[in-house]
Amino acid sequence: MQETIFLPLIIALPLLGFVVLGLFGKHFKEPVAGWLASSLVLGSFLLGLYLLFQGGARWTLLDWLPGIPFSFNLDNLSGVMLLVVTGVGFLIHVWAIGYMHGDPGYSRFFSYFNLFIAAMLVLVLGDSLPVVFIGWEGVGLASYLLIGFWYNQRVNADSARKAFIVNRIGDLGFLLAMGLLWKMFGTLSISELVQKVEAGGYNPAALTLAGLLLLIGAMGKSAQVPLMVWLPDAMAGPTPVSALIHAATMVTAGVYLLVRHAFMLHGDACLSGLIVVIGLITAIYGALASLGQWDIKRIVAYTTLSQLGFMFVAVGVGAYWVAIFHIVTHAFFKALMFMTSGSVIHALGGEQDVRQMGGMRKYLPSTHIHGVVATLASGGLIPLAGFWSKDAILAYSFAYGPLLWALMMIASVLAALYSVRWYVLVFWGDYRGKEHPHESPPVMLWPNHILMVGAAGAGFMGLPYVIDYQNFLNPFLTPAIGDFALEKLPVLTEWILIIVSAVVAAVTLWWGFGFYQQKAPPWLERFQVWALEGFYADALFNTILVNPARSLAGVLLDADRGILAGFTGLGSLVGGLGRLLASLQTGALRLYMVGLMIALVLLLGWGVLR
Amino acid sequence: MIWLFASALLFAIGTYGALTRRTAILVFLSVELMLNAAALALIGFAQLMGSLDAQVVVLFIIAIAAAEVAVGLGLIVAIFRRRETTSVDELRQLRG
Repeated sequence: MQETIFLPLIIALPLLGFVVLGLFGKHFKEPVAGWLASSLVLGSFLLGLYLLFQGGARWTLLDWLPGIPFSFNLDNLSGVMLLVVTGVGFLIHVWAIGYMHGDPGYSRFFSYFNLFIAAMLVLVLGDSLPVVFIGWEGVGLASYLLIGFWYNQRVNADSARKAFIVNRIGDLGFLLAMGLLWKMFGTLSISELVQKVEAGGYNPAALTLAGLLLLIGAMGKSAQVPLMVWLPDAMAGPTPVSALIHAATMVTAGVYLLVRHAFMLHGDACLSGLIVVIGLITAIYGALASLGQWDIKRIVAYTTLSQLGFMFVAVGVGAYWVAIFHIVTHAFFKALMFMTSGSVIHALGGEQDVRQMGGMRKYLPSTHIHGVVATLASGGLIPLAGFWSKDAILAYSFAYGPLLWALMMIASVLAALYSVRWYVLVFWGDYRGKEHPHESPPVMLWPNHILMVGAAGAGFMGLPYVIDYQNFLNPFLTPAIGDFALEKLPVLTEWILIIVSAVVAAVTLWWGFGFYQQKAPPWLERFQVWALEGFYADALFNTILVNPARSLAGVLLDADRGILAGFTGLGSLVGGLGRLLASLQTGALRLYMVGLMIALVLLLGWGVLR
Repeated sequence: MIWLFASALLFAIGTYGALTRRTAILVFLSVELMLNAAALALIGFAQLMGSLDAQVVVLFIIAIAAAEVAVGLGLIVAIFRRRETTSVDELRQLRG
């Protein structure tokens, strides 16, 4: 741990890109803006990697607010997140150079993109909670700006607002948690909170409440049931945005926040149980809803929901390093899945309906390979990345309770199904659209090649202990998260779980591959009508929340107009009186004289007779 | 007392003139008559009271009236140059 000025520099690089591209974006010719933004993110990545090899770093600006320092902390946990954010972020930046080609808002796009990276790094590196909160709000802002990037269509602007408003609910939880922790411990620095919580001497119920409020914050950002409604609509933004913000990085911020506060959640069975339940519901809900979507990006968005549910379950069962492990592998395969979808959308000139796709394996051979790897990794085929992280979650779920394991198994069967459904609808069958498909340019293919390697191989850093007794990731993260030893399952059980999980995933993938090439049976079509609407979650929210709020707003608006009408009435009364008096000024001099004389006589008469 | 009656007569004549004449010069002249009627009334009261205070005020009135006449006549001349008329009825549009 060293104090170094290089740490804030990691954040300053993309922030510089945001300022430069935001202020002088018009002066940059098209690819230059993209390459500038990308290279700044790469610079952050390399600098972060260097500092992580140095053994982490700290940077503190004393007394930013009274009693609250402005501090950043690069330990192994934030380091892993930093590498994911900047590494995958860099690849998506490069890919976006090709995808955003010809867009009138090219520089503006990369300016926002760099703002997002900077805000996300503040979130990840922040050591005191208000600093984390700045990043938390910053990524929300960047997400809002990018969802509504094509703001001249109303639906995009509405989606952006929806995301922002739903996230506000979570942010309120975060704020209240900060207030409560400040009241309890008198500090908001995470590293000091760890010590104070260990030292004890506080009310455990209050700590549970603080954890619950933090959980609400995490649920908003990570789109957990019931705050998940914004994520599918967030797909209104350009595809690189969906890949970077709404799949790989920002939505995992909630999970990261919970892992950062593992010291508060650990040993609180009530809170952990709640996290498990929320995660489980989200995992199954997202998977089921994904099976009914026809928009290629909404398919992938709901799969993201499902995978975020897996991460929450990992946090809930106490396997914090597994949650981070799944964040890493998910960042690879979900970014790959999104960018493959984006390449297909690009190839078809903006078509997003999978019913107008099909047969892409003949037209887009390279993208097809990306699609295969993304599907198998997301579906959990051994030995790709998705398998190992999902298997670790399943194993720890089994240790938590066999019932949870069984339910999570259902969720992972569904995960395999939605992956293969996406793959079959896009790449197999006959081409059903009219556009002439064309393969993406190299600037879009190469990032996918690299991500493909990650999606295939990232799992090997977190192998189960029966294969690799000390894998890389678990001991690497332990000093940062805290040493919460979990009992290891017996070797035989662990092996059985691995084999069951591998066989089930492979069989499901194979079965789904055949199933989705046939015509859908009637029961499936009925189910898909339900799933297409996300099981009417939006309609429910509209009925119980949005419409009452809207009627209240209408009443208040009418009342406001009434009060305003009163004031304008008063104004026009005085004005009318003035106009009446003004009509006395006729300009006839003798009339004035008569008036004067009458007044004189009256005054004199009053004076004499008094 | 006679001074007061003279003053009242003078004021009445001035008022009549100001109300009936149309030419700005004559209206102005009538107003001057009314002003001097007021001055005369002050002198009459000074006589009755046996005090000199009011007579001092009359001196001030004369001095200020001289200045006022200069301004008033100047205005009338300026209006005449521009409009070729000094009829107060035709100058009604000056009301703004």
